[in-house]
Amino acid sequence: MGNLRRLVMDVLKPLEPSIVELAQVLSDLEGVDGANISIYEIDRRVENAKITIEGHHLNYQNIVRVIEENGGAVHSIDEVAAGNVLIEDVITPQD
Amino acid sequence: MEEAPNPVNLVVQVLDDMREYERIAGFSQIARRALANNGFDGVLTMIGVLMGNYLGNVRDPGIVIRIGIATSISIGISGLWGAYLAESAERGRELAELERLSLTDLGKTKIGRASRVAVIVVSLVDGLSPLLSSVLVLFPFFFTPLLGDILLSYVISLVVALVGLFGLGMFLGSVSGRSLVGYGLRTVVAGIVAIVINVLLPLDS
Repeated sequence: MGNLRRLVMDVLKPLEPSIVELAQVLSDLEGVDGANISIYEIDRRVENAKITIEGHHLNYQNIVRVIEENGGAVHSIDEVAAGNVLIEDVITPQD
Repeated sequence: MEEAPNPVNLVVQVLDDMREYERIAGFSQIARRALANNGFDGVLTMIGVLMGNYLGNVRDPGIVIRIGIATSISIGISGLWGAYLAESAERGRELAELERLSLTDLGKTKIGRASRVAVIVVSLVDGLSPLLSSVLVLFPFFFTPLLGDILLSYVISLVVALVGLFGLGMFLGSVSGRSLVGYGLRTVVAGIVAIVINVLLPLDS
């Protein structure tokens, strides 16, 4: 199976643990080169986060386990890139 | 063979976990309040016990210790039990609300663990602070045979109680970032008021 290189997920999480801690924990995982978390909606107790993780050999199960351990729920996987080369989304005339 | 965990690493790990749980559940402020409130309760209750014994002409240190320890145990259990029930109800409600909002079971997550740790820490502080502060006040009575006179034990115990109150006041002063001595004196006055009221009460039979 090809290497997972990029994962973009929509996650609903409690305000605590903060995204600072979550990003650090995710970036510490084996095979992860970097993590980015941006908040696009915030409520009194929970927030919606877009989590982007890139690496050379991502372990999806481990990543989801860490997110869930920190109280998050993965609502959708919005983008995945795998293989030796990281391929960006291609803009077609239909877009 | 598996290597035994290094005790230092284990302690560092536990401290790290506790810091993380405190960030998530935010229990240090409640624990601090419980420490001051219940420590204050413990010392003042023991001032009451001492004054009751003294004015009731109890001159046997064994009886003072027996009554004092029984009272300490009761206020310790009262603090522990009350705080456990109140805190677990409150934390349980908060966790249930968070689970409802996030549509996930948070019981086995860091958040669930932080919530349980918060209940334990606050209950222990609530129970141990009055227990320890009241036993501390009682301490001189264990040395009555050495001191030679039980009246001296009463005096030293009351001084320990007032010093304890002053210390608790200073602790509150440091928390509020205001005058340590000012807060210390305010708590000492509470102890003196309790002593004076007991002395003035016309209850002699």
